[in-house]
Amino acid sequence: MDWAKESLQKLESSRPARLNQSAPLPDSTAAEALLKKYHPDYLGHERQLAVGPNAGEQKVPLELAQLLEGDSPIEPDYSPDPEIKTDVLIIGGGGAGATAALTLEGTGLTVHLATKLRLGDSNTVMAEGGIQSAIGPDDSPRRHFADALVGGHGENDVNLLRILCEQGPESIRWLSQLGCLFDQNEDGQFRLRGGGGTSVPRVLACRDYTGLEIMRVLKDAVRLTDTQLLEEHAAMELVDDGNGRVTGAILFDRNAGRPVCVSARAVIMATGGSGQIRLQGFPTSNHIGATGDGLVLAYRQGCRLIDLDTYQYHPSGTCYPEALVGQLVTEAIRSIGAQVVNAEGVHFIDEMAYRDVLAGSIIKEIAEGRGVKTPHGKTGVWLDTPMIDMKNGPGTLARQFPGLIHRFERYHIDPTQTPILIYPTLHYQNGGILVDSECRSNIPGLWACGEVTGGLHGKNRLMGNSLLDITVFGRRAAQSVLANIPERGAVTLTNLQRFRAERTKIKNKTVSPKFFPTASGMKLTPAKAQEKSQKDTNSSNFEPRNPFNF
Amino acid sequence: MTGKTVEIKILGKTIQAKAGETLVHALWAAGMPESVKTGCAGGVCGACTVTLRYSDGRPGGTELACMKPVEAGMEIFPCPVEDDNPVLPVADPELSHLQSAFPTLNRCTKCGSCTTACPMSIPVMDSVLRMQKGEFETVAEDFTTCIHCGLCRFVCEDKVKPHNMGLWVRRSLGMSRNVAITNNEDNAEQEWRYLLAEDRGERLQRARQFRKSGRVGET
Repeated sequence: MDWAKESLQKLESSRPARLNQSAPLPDSTAAEALLKKYHPDYLGHERQLAVGPNAGEQKVPLELAQLLEGDSPIEPDYSPDPEIKTDVLIIGGGGAGATAALTLEGTGLTVHLATKLRLGDSNTVMAEGGIQSAIGPDDSPRRHFADALVGGHGENDVNLLRILCEQGPESIRWLSQLGCLFDQNEDGQFRLRGGGGTSVPRVLACRDYTGLEIMRVLKDAVRLTDTQLLEEHAAMELVDDGNGRVTGAILFDRNAGRPVCVSARAVIMATGGSGQIRLQGFPTSNHIGATGDGLVLAYRQGCRLIDLDTYQYHPSGTCYPEALVGQLVTEAIRSIGAQVVNAEGVHFIDEMAYRDVLAGSIIKEIAEGRGVKTPHGKTGVWLDTPMIDMKNGPGTLARQFPGLIHRFERYHIDPTQTPILIYPTLHYQNGGILVDSECRSNIPGLWACGEVTGGLHGKNRLMGNSLLDITVFGRRAAQSVLANIPERGAVTLTNLQRFRAERTKIKNKTVSPKFFPTASGMKLTPAKAQEKSQKDTNSSNFEPRNPFNF
Repeated sequence: MTGKTVEIKILGKTIQAKAGETLVHALWAAGMPESVKTGCAGGVCGACTVTLRYSDGRPGGTELACMKPVEAGMEIFPCPVEDDNPVLPVADPELSHLQSAFPTLNRCTKCGSCTTACPMSIPVMDSVLRMQKGEFETVAEDFTTCIHCGLCRFVCEDKVKPHNMGLWVRRSLGMSRNVAITNNEDNAEQEWRYLLAEDRGERLQRARQFRKSGRVGET
């Protein structure tokens, strides 16, 4: 990293003085001012929707608005004829969907779980830092609630938030009984760390692979149940009974290359977030399936959406090397002592500020010329990782953050010796489908849980509350389905037809959902086109095909 | 370091890639996104397993396409690994349980292929030998970073299933642990009444106060 030599020297020379000094934490007035000027949520890249249940209300980001108003990929002459009949269709194979499937096991209901990728390919598996639960001394679900409410700017749905916090300890018990191994202290108690905006240590972790630990256990457990897995089946549309109730979905079987209609008595939407729509061109820490499909499908059915005017830009996304741009550097690194430092070697803000405030302040440093420019033209600030071993003893970083070390190793960067360059990365969809405390959307037959929902986290989520979210509300959605499941209904496209009629008044030509990131060029390819592309491949013509009208 | 392109080969087809980018991004740019299965593009889902070889004679091997930067002359072959049926874990696991759950455990011929294949640098073969001795705590530690890409099982001539056993051991130990988790219910009703003020602004003020001490009326 010779290109950054000068700045690294400044950072190293200021380190002895900084080592045990804290930096200022902006008060609430200063934080608001900072956010308004620099945070991407506040810059006006948003508009109202012209059609659907939220038309004319709260603004949403421009890129998302295009998708929510978009047309369906379903051909106008397609007539839904169910090939699969099930009691519960879960859409989404991440932590929330898997948790719901496990909770429905042994209840007598048949369960199908559809995912456009493989079970477990999700944002859950990529979560690093941990899961919050009020189990420590001086802590309580009330304190957890207060921290999260302040972090969410007081905009959280307090009923949902209270459930989240009260169910924290029970959720850790449930995950432990499934066989999740959370890190323990020498006395055998779970090790608790702080996170941005936690007033006491409350975050449990498995090194910096907490999501991986939870997801691989959930995945293993689900595969031992009677849940029917529909992997590589992308949800294209929901179907309804003609009277407004959701009664199933049309999936696209990526291997067979054709749509499959599913009739279900209840549908649980657990499709996760939308970082891959790359708002304002930001990099993302999300997996490749995070394209907001569930929002689009639910919106066409008439589901109200909430709080989608805010997204979470995680302050520490990787900025260098280029191949790792956008990938997460866990907040836990900051909670055990790595400071955020600008190009001049100045520790400009307390690194445990709320995520939105810290992200805004990093963007400000760069805007005012105190960032470090990479050879690829990106600009970031330093995360002073070598401080961790100085503060906590040699070997701490390698022992507690093997993932970080492993990722940077192949680029010949050793974070125990060299700081990491960071820039905010699009990380989490704060808002989503409006749900009640039983995870029901405002459309009968459709439940939702996890990142696809909104309200719980208000305008900003705290570290460790999303892994808890999927556990608490994945279980809750399943329990509510069990208690309230309707009889099987007819399968029609009435809601879609109504939406299509409404959108004739707008000019938006987008076809949505996206299914995959634009940059990937991945498509849902019908069987005939698959054969053709196979032939072309054999004759060494690798031109990509776009046989569908999206 | 910027702007340079290199040639790599995938499935016999030569493509141009930008120096410094990963194989997955190179395949996206070349219009071949589905030639290698991809899930997270962040090194933790294990979908994008490939084998590769170098033109200069260096030993190739197995890799995750989302983590491997392109190099000139590199030749890539997709290597998807099918899932294997899981085996129910048991609380208080003993060696005999592992042996009956995974009958191929003792077939290991110590060739070391599994360790070579592991993209997470887990000492897989050593850990299989530890499994044979029932050293489960160490095994659980060994497999902390396992992403279940399945390459260790895929390359094993003797049908040993290291990563499946690793997860079985971890889950079994996890289920056996009994860490006390207490719910703090002291003054719960009073505190909820205080925190759930009707007025939004008042509620936020009270939350700000409450989080300082975790109690009503203290700072």
